[in-house]
Amino acid sequence: MPEPMPPEPLLSGGGRVPEDGAIAATGMGGAMDLATAEGETLERAPAGPDGTGPTDRPRSLWSDAWRDLRRNPVFILSGLVILFLVFVSLWPSVIASGSPLKCDLAKAQEGSQQGAPFGYDGQGCNVYTRTVYGARTSVTVGVLATLGVALFGSVLGGLAGFFGGVWDSVLSRITDIFFAIPVVLGGLVLLSVVTSNTVWPVIGFMVLLGWPQISRIARGSVITAKQNDYVQAARALGASNSRMLLRHIAPNAVAPVIVVATIALGTYIALEATLSYLGVGLKPPTVSWGIDISAASPYIRNAPHALLWPSGALALTVLAFIMLGDAVRDALDPKLR
Amino acid sequence: MRGATHAKWAACAAAVALVATACGGGGDSGGDSGAVLSSSWGDPQNPLEPANTNEVQGGKVLDMIFRSLKKYNPETGEAEDMLAEKIETSDSQNFTITVKDGWTFSNGEKVTAKSFVDAWNYGASLKNNQKNAYFFGYIEGYDKTHPEDGGKQTADTLSGLKVVDDRTFTVKLSQKFSTFPDTLGYPAYAPLPQAFFTDHAGWLSKPIGNGPYAVDSYAKGSQMSLRKWEDYPGDDAAENGGVDLKVYTDNNTAYTDLLAGNLDLVDDVPAAQLKNVKNDLGDRYLNTPAGIIQTLAFPFYDENWNKSGSDKVRTGLSRAIDREQITETIFQKTRTPATDWTSPVLGEDGGFKEGLCGDACDYDPAEAKKLIQEGGGLPGGQVKITYNADTGSHKQWVDAVCNSINNALGNDKACVGNPVGTFADFRSQIGDQKMSGPFRAGWQMDYPLIQNFLQPLYYTNASSNDGKWSNKEFDDLVDEANAETDTAKAVETFQQAEEVLRDNMGAIPLWYQNGSAGYSDRLSNVKLNPFSVPVYNEIKVS
Repeated sequence: MPEPMPPEPLLSGGGRVPEDGAIAATGMGGAMDLATAEGETLERAPAGPDGTGPTDRPRSLWSDAWRDLRRNPVFILSGLVILFLVFVSLWPSVIASGSPLKCDLAKAQEGSQQGAPFGYDGQGCNVYTRTVYGARTSVTVGVLATLGVALFGSVLGGLAGFFGGVWDSVLSRITDIFFAIPVVLGGLVLLSVVTSNTVWPVIGFMVLLGWPQISRIARGSVITAKQNDYVQAARALGASNSRMLLRHIAPNAVAPVIVVATIALGTYIALEATLSYLGVGLKPPTVSWGIDISAASPYIRNAPHALLWPSGALALTVLAFIMLGDAVRDALDPKLR
Repeated sequence: MRGATHAKWAACAAAVALVATACGGGGDSGGDSGAVLSSSWGDPQNPLEPANTNEVQGGKVLDMIFRSLKKYNPETGEAEDMLAEKIETSDSQNFTITVKDGWTFSNGEKVTAKSFVDAWNYGASLKNNQKNAYFFGYIEGYDKTHPEDGGKQTADTLSGLKVVDDRTFTVKLSQKFSTFPDTLGYPAYAPLPQAFFTDHAGWLSKPIGNGPYAVDSYAKGSQMSLRKWEDYPGDDAAENGGVDLKVYTDNNTAYTDLLAGNLDLVDDVPAAQLKNVKNDLGDRYLNTPAGIIQTLAFPFYDENWNKSGSDKVRTGLSRAIDREQITETIFQKTRTPATDWTSPVLGEDGGFKEGLCGDACDYDPAEAKKLIQEGGGLPGGQVKITYNADTGSHKQWVDAVCNSINNALGNDKACVGNPVGTFADFRSQIGDQKMSGPFRAGWQMDYPLIQNFLQPLYYTNASSNDGKWSNKEFDDLVDEANAETDTAKAVETFQQAEEVLRDNMGAIPLWYQNGSAGYSDRLSNVKLNPFSVPVYNEIKVS
């Protein structure tokens, strides 16, 4: 356990082994100049006089990561898919005309044809239109759930890691409890009593069960970051808790959170489809891939296309986000360099 | 559990994968008359008290473990004497019933006149709160044992029932009811052994009856095992060793189990498989007319559906449903668009009248839109059709009905389906009057009389009047028809009552349903009776 406040004496701490296997964040390179005010020292990294870099520009974790990513074909591919998905989510009518709720029973189970490249499902709804509109729901739920989880989890975990002590212990036990709840079972129990037709209960549920993961990562990462010399220096110079947290610790502890959240985004999209498939997630008339997969599954022998297209779209989307997360992790983890 | 149908399916599939034999079809092969068959089923809503069971799944079991005064012929549906030696009347109001000698319950107790009278008194008594109490409503003294509207119960027994001797009892009705004897095959009129009254809890956990089967064990949510009662005195003894009724929450799973050889009999072929069923099963697929009509009922206890103009909204909804298209595409013509509130199995003489509904059941989107606007629009701008998701492929047709309504009204969100996970839960929600919009109401007849399609469903406070529709004119016509001794005239009066129902659109008729079933090659002599229930006792297992 890290020592709680008050601050340790300057120059004593330092080389602790990172906890929780968190990715050690280095950066903000440069030597410390004790003569200047601590803020200036840390904000304006000295430019190049050390002579190690060929250029004058300082190299940070982020710029390194960006340079890596640009050269990574996995990132480019997944990025393009995700850009496309986001575009489709914002403006679905650009590539699919007509309403996804417009169904004509006379066309039920018909195959690919003019105006309906993916054919029609068992109710005579246009599978192409529904697949396109389904992207909006999936991306909305995925992004909002991830944002919620990341914010909630990193704030709680970060504070616990920074202040330590009894709050840290309490929070750690609470996360243990949440980790013990099986996600699908929890969804069946909690969401089955919800009657709302909107996406909010589903997002709320994901945040509720998802935050402990991020919270643990953030806690470990903050604990690592707060041992660093520059934090000790800041503390010695009398910086307030909030200044230390926001200025010095957060920027250096956020990388692992971003990596985990990006990978989790894909799994949240899959989870939304799972819950909707089971009938407790989103409810019609909301258009969702999970609902469509569920509705089409009894017809697999007669109209497999109605099942395969939304399933394929779901698989592709989840894959794209997980690949993106993977690429981001590779770029941000110095150990993998 | 709201709509969590696939969850249980997944759990069951996992269980099947782990213990493949656990879902096997009986297992004991060899002995012909001793072999047990397995059949798909759903949990009944209530414990199996005969007078408290008014739904299909519980009724299926009662048909196997009870025999009443009459029995409906499995082919024609005609009421034939079973335990009744004779039922005599001179005025259609006072009946003398003689019970056959030699009948016992499966615990050895004799079936006597008292077994019937006690059972009927129990069913009619308000304090026992039986769902089918209403079936005893015409017996004299019912107003004292089951006062309406919160009145105080002043008698425990019906004054119209009198035991004359061991085998004879008399029934006095409060008005003429010419077809009363024909209703006596309904399980609510079944006799009950003394054990039912002395050890009620014990009886509920393992019901004792007088039918060809006896309950061996029941695990709620999983299976009920019924075994042949070897000493059954009737002439319709079981020709197999027993039946295992297995609970399925999704008829697709049951169908898949049938194909995989894990189940012997499915009496509810899923709509999605109707295209394949002939290929899959060949002549092991049954599709026979049955006394079933599917309707949409309305919650008349909700003032949104019970104000002036809402009859126009209901008629408008009826006209917005393209029954022809739905029965053809979703049900592959195993349903027929309904044009009245009865069933073709009654026959013209029995009261079925094609086209009685008239325009009100014809698909006409323009007229539908106009009617709904005239009636003040849909309450809250949207209707939710509530249904149970575990049986009957209801999701498919509810979605189709909603799409039809949406297309007619030109509003994508005018109608949405609202699934309830299980039939039992769905029935409970209806019983608790929790509906806020139209809900699925199917009616499988209890006995093949037009009276049974109208009175229990639409008479004020009747046992299955789920929507609490109430209409004085209708009630009077039904009473009048029941008192009529001339059958043709009675039928005519019932049809007048039906017209009253039509003009107020008390429920939207959707389609007449065929019974459909599929079975494994272990079985032979499988039949569906006019109620669409498999005639279990005649099934042979090889």
